[in-house]
Amino acid sequence: MKKNKNNKTRNKLPFKERFRKNAIVYLFLIPILIHFAIFQVFPFLFSFVLTFMDWRIIGNHEWVGLKHWIYFFQDKLAWKALWNTFMFSVYYIVPTMAIGLILALIINSGVRFAGFFKGIFFLPVVTSFVIVAGLWGWLFGGTESGLINWLIGLFGVEPQLFLADSSQALIVLAGLSIFKVAGSTMIYYFAGLQSIPKDLYEAAKIDGASKMKIFWKITFPLLKPIHFYVAIVTTIGSFQIFDSAYLLTGGGPNYSTTTIVFYLYQQGFTNLNLSYAAVLSYALFFIILIVSLIQRKYIGKDTAIY
Amino acid sequence: MKKKFSFLVLLIGLMFVAVACSDDAGSEGDGEVGGEITVWVHPYTGDAAKEEEMWDTIIKNFQEEFDAEVNIEVIPWSNRDQKILTALAANNGPDVFYAIPDQMPQYADAGMLLELDPYLEDFDMTDFVDTALVSTKWQDKTYGLPILQESYTYFYNKAVIEAIGEDPENLPETWDDFKAWAEKAKDKGYYATTFQGGGSMNGTLYPYLWQAGGDVITQDNEVMINNEAGVEAFTLVNEMYENGWIPEDSITAMEHDAIWNSGDMLAVLGSGITLSNLQSTGEIDFVIGPPLKNKEQVTYGTVGMFVVPSNTDNPATAAEFVKVLTNAENQRTFNEVTQYIPTRESAKDIFDEQPYLAQLASYTQYALPGVIHPKGRDIMPMIQAELQTMMEGKKTPQEAADSAAESIKAAIGD
Repeated sequence: MKKNKNNKTRNKLPFKERFRKNAIVYLFLIPILIHFAIFQVFPFLFSFVLTFMDWRIIGNHEWVGLKHWIYFFQDKLAWKALWNTFMFSVYYIVPTMAIGLILALIINSGVRFAGFFKGIFFLPVVTSFVIVAGLWGWLFGGTESGLINWLIGLFGVEPQLFLADSSQALIVLAGLSIFKVAGSTMIYYFAGLQSIPKDLYEAAKIDGASKMKIFWKITFPLLKPIHFYVAIVTTIGSFQIFDSAYLLTGGGPNYSTTTIVFYLYQQGFTNLNLSYAAVLSYALFFIILIVSLIQRKYIGKDTAIY
Repeated sequence: MKKKFSFLVLLIGLMFVAVACSDDAGSEGDGEVGGEITVWVHPYTGDAAKEEEMWDTIIKNFQEEFDAEVNIEVIPWSNRDQKILTALAANNGPDVFYAIPDQMPQYADAGMLLELDPYLEDFDMTDFVDTALVSTKWQDKTYGLPILQESYTYFYNKAVIEAIGEDPENLPETWDDFKAWAEKAKDKGYYATTFQGGGSMNGTLYPYLWQAGGDVITQDNEVMINNEAGVEAFTLVNEMYENGWIPEDSITAMEHDAIWNSGDMLAVLGSGITLSNLQSTGEIDFVIGPPLKNKEQVTYGTVGMFVVPSNTDNPATAAEFVKVLTNAENQRTFNEVTQYIPTRESAKDIFDEQPYLAQLASYTQYALPGVIHPKGRDIMPMIQAELQTMMEGKKTPQEAADSAAESIKAAIGD
């Protein structure tokens, strides 16, 4: 940290000199900055302008002030979609992190055919979402012939409706996302595990620490930067969940799997209510921003190893 | 050194400006046919080469009459709405594009489509099937001409018909007939039919609603869904689900192909695609029945039409192209390749040798294209949610229909 501060003060040259020193860098940055401005900054700002208009694709656009924002606060469906998204995160984030970590521990444990298992665990990540979702929908078919229903039938459990049941559908969709994403969190954790110095483990062993203790006192805390990164990425991913609802349930039954992104897609591209969709996307943006800031405050601190 | 560098920056900047300002192709003024138009079509079959040949033929037919260039651009189906919307918004879109019934009134109401009536003054429309024209009109103005149509009806599995002791020559015609068969099928361990509750309502509630003599909403914003006929349709769906005539997962199912293909279902609601699938696998011996009737004999069938966006800079040529494209000769060419049903009676002769397609073609007169209303797409998920709630047993048909009506009123009110 200290080193950083020193650097900053040393770099405080007059603007002109700094510019001359780095001019060539800026030159090479120009193309990418132009691209960034056109495809990122402009849509971002313009969509904010959209929220105050009744924007039509062709023809006259009308200024309507805060109409869409006020409607957002009264729109029960939007709040239901936000709640569904929140519940989805609850079902999704911790299991994805836990399963990713467990898988990473397995392939890091020196088990035989570790490379093979790594490939198997990673397979859902590289498979097209549409394919994985199709398989998932087939596994969790709500009729007696669905595979999972057949399996639980062996234990005498009644066939479940799964995606056709408003109290189960969201959990089944979360399961799909966990299955799809856990492989990539595994890779992050695997990299994290590799970077923990071996001598810490040796020292612990010499001190006679049990395997559990080693995990909770060394491995888990030293993975903190990875926890932070994975937590942010899965949180953002969970707030942006869209495709599984789009592919498997169409947002139903009775809006129980309508997530905020699914809802804004419907508003924007089915109902052509682009201004209101922009409001929803800003609401989502602020939520993700706030959650990320909170996460950064609480789990994002640097971990000093020694 | 400094000067040289500034010059370099300027040069790069200028290059970007030059690239950004691409020139728009010149176009003809109003009224005159000529110049160049761009037409957005979709891959209607899996055979791109055959389709290219088809478009070449159609363009040649057009150019025999008119001196104008036509560029066909094949746009993949996925996210087609977004593609069209963004292109039109950027004033960079096609001069003619393919539209479907629920899209047309929405676009027309937003002022995005060119009214075609001025170009149709001495144009003979009598050859078109009436139901196909329904979807091209909004508030008595014509915005497109139809090229293809479908009709959904029941495809019955002959083996199941025999298993329940019925006669494949004597298929159900009314709700009561069908209910009797459904009950028998259920008793023998079959599902009666499919119900894709997670998919479009055009394949689920709407046909029953129309058969009961009801409607969702009129063009004058009168909400009809919870009148007597509406409740009757909701009740029928409820009955089908409670009695196990349709699969347990029907509330959100997107397809029931596996059940139908394994021969565990009496009938499936299908159209031309169902027919070609059945014919290509050849595993199920089937027979096609007529669309059911309760008060009226109606079914669903989409219509494909070509429309002209209002911001085209060559409206006359675009309109003439749409007229030529949908004439009888070109409809034959188009539908022979794509195996859809022509929207002109005279072009239906392409199916003279194909009895199944001829049978489906004879049903297009009963096929409504869905809810023709700018809010048709908005209100569909609302009705769907209420229907799902009813099927979950949380609302009665009357309550579900009433709530659907309330949601629709709220949606059109603002």
